Amino acid sequence: MDNLSLLMEGFANALTLQNLLFALIGVLLGTAVGVLPGIGPAMTVALLLPLTYALDVTGSLIMFAGIYYGGMYGGSTTSILLNTPGESSSVVTALEGNKMAKAGRGAQALATAAIGSFVAGTIATGALVLVAPFIVSIAISLGAPSYFAMMLFAFIAVSTVLGSSRIRGLSSLFIGLTIGLVGMDPTTGQPRLTFGQPLLSGGVDVVVIAVALFAVGEALWIAAHLRQGKQATIPVGMPWMGKEDWKRSWKPWLRGTVIGFPFGAIPAGGAEIPTFLSYVTEKKLSKHPEEFGHGAIEGVAGPEAANNASAAGTLVPLLTLGLPTTATAAVMIAAFNQYGIHPGPLLFKTEPVLVWTLIASLFIGNTLLLALNLPLAPFWAKLLRIPRPYLYAGILFFATLGAYAAGMQAFNIAILLLIGALGYMARRYGFPVLPIIVGAILGPEMERQLRRSLQISSGDPAALLSEPLPIVLYTVIAVFLILPPLVKAVRRRMRGGDGGGADGDGGAGGDGGAPLDGAIDAAPDAGAPDSGAPDTAAPDAAAPAGPAAAESSRRA
Amino acid sequence: MTTRSRGGTGLLNGRSELGVAALLGALAVIVAVDTANIRHTAVNAGVMGPQVVPTIIAIGLALCAIALAISVLRGGHGDPEDGEDIDLSIPAHWPTVFGLAGLILGYALVLDPLGYVIASSILFYGSALLLGSRRYVWALVIGILLSLGTFYGFVLGLGIMLPAGLLTGIL
Repeated sequence: MDNLSLLMEGFANALTLQNLLFALIGVLLGTAVGVLPGIGPAMTVALLLPLTYALDVTGSLIMFAGIYYGGMYGGSTTSILLNTPGESSSVVTALEGNKMAKAGRGAQALATAAIGSFVAGTIATGALVLVAPFIVSIAISLGAPSYFAMMLFAFIAVSTVLGSSRIRGLSSLFIGLTIGLVGMDPTTGQPRLTFGQPLLSGGVDVVVIAVALFAVGEALWIAAHLRQGKQATIPVGMPWMGKEDWKRSWKPWLRGTVIGFPFGAIPAGGAEIPTFLSYVTEKKLSKHPEEFGHGAIEGVAGPEAANNASAAGTLVPLLTLGLPTTATAAVMIAAFNQYGIHPGPLLFKTEPVLVWTLIASLFIGNTLLLALNLPLAPFWAKLLRIPRPYLYAGILFFATLGAYAAGMQAFNIAILLLIGALGYMARRYGFPVLPIIVGAILGPEMERQLRRSLQISSGDPAALLSEPLPIVLYTVIAVFLILPPLVKAVRRRMRGGDGGGADGDGGAGGDGGAPLDGAIDAAPDAGAPDSGAPDTAAPDAAAPAGPAAAESSRRA
Repeated sequence: MTTRSRGGTGLLNGRSELGVAALLGALAVIVAVDTANIRHTAVNAGVMGPQVVPTIIAIGLALCAIALAISVLRGGHGDPEDGEDIDLSIPAHWPTVFGLAGLILGYALVLDPLGYVIASSILFYGSALLLGSRRYVWALVIGILLSLGTFYGFVLGLGIMLPAGLLTGIL
């Protein structure tokens, strides 16, 4: 009851004319930028961050909520009308969505994506309202050892569960931790990794890291392999759905929401697994399984809903525990930090108005998105035709602006280039980018919690196990790390003759990867012991494989 | 389907990733040396000084470097990222990449003396040309308009002062 009144207060705050305007601008800009090819939600949020610098906290968070959902919706438009999305979470949407668009049903695909996103986003934000206070009430009593364990858990999750190769994930994580080390040690004031450069003593600004990794790294990588010639984009009219489309969409929306939210909410989130699970579920339950692979509307409705629900789900660990588990959430932490706000259970106590206004504006942003995007879809589709040299020159233009504005230091731009080169390298060699930024953001925080734990116990490491939650989490981590290689070893022994059914299948497409390497690279996870993907990640790697296998062979 | 089938991958591919392992190793050394140079003051004598975490990170980096090197030598590799505008069938075009990197570095150097509008116009124009734009006049016009618009948008709209540089007094 109490929360409901707080939420109402949040609505009252968010529904002022000025704040509605911020939400509107956020949604419009977020969609416009997110729809641009090559720009995923994380990059959208990172590039638009400077715009919020001049606003007050509430205004900028409201705008941010709009940008967040707008960027996500923009990404799905791109994948429906252009195929082969850069963002892993919309890979599944592209499978059926692009087929639908090619068959002249682009309007229906966009409509089911937009309405499904709205339905899922609204329900999932509602779930956030219910779940968040509950988690906060538990989290508030947790001590430093539990936080330390949760961060460790988040580290292990983002670097070894998601993604296809553990060693690459861990390498990314340690690179991120190294970046996080730069600056003055918060406890003793000793400089670390500053190389005598006073501008580094405050550490590397998280905004700079985010923009460098997501915008500069991506732009440089694309520049190196820029596709020549015009890509066929599919023109589209006003999205609408017939009676049959509604009938086939509403259940997948709801199922997608149910699948997406919990996956987002656990600190091992990410939208890849839930979108894929939703796709498989819809394919199984569909009355028209033969349409899958040729543009089945359920295959757009379900995964899109799952994607949005999991995006709302990631706000649960972000707001209640201060744990970012997706790239977009990591950038949002940067936005919060700018105002000296540190998400976590205390935030709900110290800044309840702010938190509930933010949550209220998520509902508002979601509604605005639906109202705007249905009529504006033909316009967004035109944005896809922007000439690529201008597009990527523009990305660099705004990336440098963002880095500069973060501290008004030209020096930041040099750092931007350096970390951007790192981002290029990560893309070239298939290193996940997410652990880098999560490591850089959470590393210093984790060190603080570790020190605090040991301070209380005067150095006895047993203190790290003094609460029940760490024991549980360490056990889970151990299972994560030990079980998959074990399973693999057993499976390999059992395999022998039949070439490994499931795994071979999973790798065969490797669509996410290069058509070039496709054949050689078959079974990227099943192969060498180093690139071990734990079992939970198998659907992730296999996600594009099933239906895409056929597609990639056709492409070749 | 296993390591063997990958053995045939172009050896160059496998080898260049050793550079990443080397980078990890170099980072490990840098962190270790930097940590060793942290002064031991009385404050440090507390339960856990500022050296502990960097030491762990240095060890982690070193282990990753070794594990990655072994994995690459065994033929393991990650997939390059694909996307809407990426054509992986063509090899990396280095002149573009280094040209863009050079532009950004140059931008960092001239931003304050030349001012935001001039430096950013050059950045946009140069990048567009490097990325293959052949509309020489249009690209310049767009660059200048974008820079001017951003400058005034930030200064007047957001109240954030960007450096005017050479054009101080004119803008």
